Amino acid sequence: MSNPYQDGRGNKDRSITNPAGQGSEMPRSKSGKVTAAGDSTAFLIGEAMTGGYGKGPDILHACTIAVERGEIAVIVGPNGAGKSTAMKAVFGMLNVRSGRVLLDGEDITALTPQDRVVKGMGFVPQTSNIFTSMTVEENLEMGAFIRRDDFRDTMAQVYDLFPILKEKRNQAAGELSGGQRQQVAVGRALMTKPKVLMLDEPTAGVSPIVMDELFDRIIEVARTGIPILMVEQNARQALEIADKAYVLVQGRNAHTGTGKELLADPEVRRSFLGG
Amino acid sequence: MNPAIRAPLLFGFVAVLMIGTGIVQGWNSALLILNMGLISAIMALGVNLQWGFAGLFNIGVMGFVALGGLAAVLVSTPPTPGAFAAGGWNILIGLTLGAATVVAAVLAQSRMQKGRLRTFTTLAILIVGFFVYRAVFDPGVDAIEAINPSVSGNIGGLNLPILLSWPVGGLLAGAAAWVIGKTALGLRSDYLAIATLGIAEIIIAVLKNEDWLSRGVKNVIGLPRPVPFEIELQQDPAFVERALSLGMNPVTASGIYTKLAYAGLFVVVLLILLWMAEKALNSPWGRMMRAIRDNETAARAMGKDVTARHLQIFILGSAICGIAGAMMTTLDGQLTPGSYQPLRFTFLVWVMVIVGGSGNNWGAVLGGILIWWLWVQVEPMGLALMQLLSSGLTDGSALQTRMIDAAAHMRLLTMGLLMLIVLRFSPRGLIPER
Amino acid sequence: MDFINAFVVLANFVIVPGLAYGAQLALGALGVTLIYGILRFSNFAHGDTMAFGTAITIIGTNALLALGITFGPLPTALLALPFGIAITCLLLLGTDWAVYKFYRTKKAAPVILVIVSMGVMFVMNGIVRFIIGVNDINFADGERFVVTARGFREATGLAEGLAIRTTQVITVVVALIAMALLFWFLNKTRTGKSMRAFSDNEDLALLSGINPDRVVMVTWMIVAALATTAGVLYGLDKSFKAFTYFQLLLPIFAAAIVGGLGNPLGAIAGGFVIAFSEVTVTYAWRRVVSYLLPEDMAPDGLLQLMSTDYKFAVSFAILIIVLLFKPTGLFKGQSV
Repeated sequence: MSNPYQDGRGNKDRSITNPAGQGSEMPRSKSGKVTAAGDSTAFLIGEAMTGGYGKGPDILHACTIAVERGEIAVIVGPNGAGKSTAMKAVFGMLNVRSGRVLLDGEDITALTPQDRVVKGMGFVPQTSNIFTSMTVEENLEMGAFIRRDDFRDTMAQVYDLFPILKEKRNQAAGELSGGQRQQVAVGRALMTKPKVLMLDEPTAGVSPIVMDELFDRIIEVARTGIPILMVEQNARQALEIADKAYVLVQGRNAHTGTGKELLADPEVRRSFLGG
Repeated sequence: MNPAIRAPLLFGFVAVLMIGTGIVQGWNSALLILNMGLISAIMALGVNLQWGFAGLFNIGVMGFVALGGLAAVLVSTPPTPGAFAAGGWNILIGLTLGAATVVAAVLAQSRMQKGRLRTFTTLAILIVGFFVYRAVFDPGVDAIEAINPSVSGNIGGLNLPILLSWPVGGLLAGAAAWVIGKTALGLRSDYLAIATLGIAEIIIAVLKNEDWLSRGVKNVIGLPRPVPFEIELQQDPAFVERALSLGMNPVTASGIYTKLAYAGLFVVVLLILLWMAEKALNSPWGRMMRAIRDNETAARAMGKDVTARHLQIFILGSAICGIAGAMMTTLDGQLTPGSYQPLRFTFLVWVMVIVGGSGNNWGAVLGGILIWWLWVQVEPMGLALMQLLSSGLTDGSALQTRMIDAAAHMRLLTMGLLMLIVLRFSPRGLIPER
Repeated sequence: MDFINAFVVLANFVIVPGLAYGAQLALGALGVTLIYGILRFSNFAHGDTMAFGTAITIIGTNALLALGITFGPLPTALLALPFGIAITCLLLLGTDWAVYKFYRTKKAAPVILVIVSMGVMFVMNGIVRFIIGVNDINFADGERFVVTARGFREATGLAEGLAIRTTQVITVVVALIAMALLFWFLNKTRTGKSMRAFSDNEDLALLSGINPDRVVMVTWMIVAALATTAGVLYGLDKSFKAFTYFQLLLPIFAAAIVGGLGNPLGAIAGGFVIAFSEVTVTYAWRRVVSYLLPEDMAPDGLLQLMSTDYKFAVSFAILIIVLLFKPTGLFKGQSV
């Protein structure tokens, strides 16, 4: 093993070690400088990104993802196409070797994920996206951790968007159903009042009925004026609500257009939507 | 550095240390350190088998070592006259009943339907069983402990050659490991660390309190020896003559002779165990163990019974510690339960394994001998250092006394620092796993 | 009357000592469980941290006594406690900076940290012996009893006396205050909640802007306070000896695991479960039983289930029984 300190020799002794909630290897080094980028065309754009995890091989190849103000942009594609990777690249969770990420006219390529949150990016990971042992309300409070001002307004807005959360606000988030957990996760990310919200497969593992409800909620969030970038497994439904859609294949942009255009595109239909 | 040169160099360094000790402090001291170092190396070999090759965290080494010591007493001492007749059957039947109670409780748990009735039955079996056990067991204990308590008061042993106790010590420790492993490795997640920590304390408590077994804290002294006594040699005219012809004091020579004899025995055991460990680890079995260690999920998917393999290696490693324990008691010639302390017998062995190189048998052996040498030598070295440092102070001043007193505690500090330094700068140890 | 006498005997020899011992174990287990929850390993150096904090407090106590300062009827050590906590805090933060931080940045496997803590244990053990030696030290002063056995008998007219030592009352009171403060901190303050969040889901905590270094620092500070308090209370109640503190590791771990590692509420429950089972199983019940049974049925034996030397065996047996039935402990683990 390359890192001898990580060699636990397969030990799984629960009486001495605690694997629960342990952090993964996220880049935690210092952020670099933010520079103004005058030529920015979109509100948030990952431009010609090439890169992969750690020192591993490149997964993305000159991939471009953008989202405009007030729009919903979705990333779809077959399994292993690098959809989540593309979103993580935009969020700074992997090494982007070439290309850049611009937010609201600033080049933020050198920022760590934490600093991107401060800059106004809200990110909802696909899994482990809530604090299961904490109450719903505490989850929202932790979402607002970087804010030192009064966030009760924001919390009220989140409760308006997701009324079920208000009902269950003193329950441990881990006790909620799958769909409700996703609402907690989105609510947590909204607590920073983000300028853009990024959702990594928000409907993974929930039933079709819950999925429809979640999509409705996401549209509602978008109506409040927050641009949304979303990775989705359920391509058809995602394309239906998308203003802008990206089809990725093997880490490259395969098709780009509005949701309706791609739904109508025969090639997209044939390869991803099953005819 | 190339590992092929590194290991011989390090072993050469240890040899130089030993020879240096012999020249400076006398060969008797050097051999004393070497003998205990060889035993430590065997303990380290056992722990390395568990930690290095299976990632099992055994912090109850002390218990297995003590069980080996118990084996030495039970095998080699003569039986106490009349003891077995007085209470032997009560004790045997009592222990059988106790074991039967546990088995019955386990059976009730596994066979009965889940519910209140099961809990009640299990509890009832345990409680009734406990009192029946005590009722049968206690009279036997009292009878045996009443027999000439100032000299014996225990059941005695089998009066067999003490060398036989070495494998018996291994068996005893292995049997204990089976019980522990069966319980702690079988749970939904492993709880081996706390289980071994607890069992080790319990084993010591049993040795200290069950006077009928090995006289408890009254200690068993004067165990038979596999080598001649020094005094016998000194009275042997042939030996004295030979010593004088070599230009040696017969008293010193007799000490060196017996220690060399011990060292020879220990080296033979160490080499056999080392050879077996190396052979086993390069066999398909050893490759499977490492495969399980490096990717348990994949190994499980390939149909390997991971729990059973872990149990196997845990028993083997503990048995090796038991053998070492019996050897140590043989060397000491006495069993003193009060002297078993976790820092010395569990955690120091861990220092040996970590410093030597986890996952490498040669590393464990090197660590065992090297750390033992250091453990013994740190105290005089610390004392010399303190005397040097405080030499400027007035004799008998409070600070000087304090500094010289403090030298006695240098050992633990040095061991800890050494372990931390190795863990940080050479996390794979002095001789890393290939 | 006999029934009340039986109860008084029980209170005198089981309930009161059990409460005090339980509170000490609970405080110790809280420290272990916090480290387990947030730094994700079992800290073998915890017993020696307790010993260090107590040793410093003893030195502080002696300094205060030399200045002629006492705490009236209460032990002077309570006045020196904040000093002990502060120094222990420095020691733990220093250890973290010099030792543990490196492994955190390397993202070391938790079991490596366990081994590292073994090294720290050796060093701390050495340091404690350096600064205070290996002897038994009794540092409790002030009033010895709140209720004396004779006073109780005279006041109530009962045959049996109930003695409550000052240190026992102090132990329970101080432990309750410490626990209340801890729970208030973890559940009501922003920093406390961020610690729970970090323990629950480290990655998400980082995304939420929680500073891991700060969480770790605050954790060590709380652990220093808990360990020193536990150690001083134990030392006041019994006496201080470096080796005894090292041996407390087993019942403390047992308490933390029985309660559910990582769960503070569990650590407290576990502390009392272990303490009471140790005391009840090793207590000779003859006097209690002889009050309850008619005279002609009075028992001959001591009615002691196990000799006191087997108290470790009791902690351990309880541990195994609980784990067999509830593999995650009484309270579900992991929610610091």
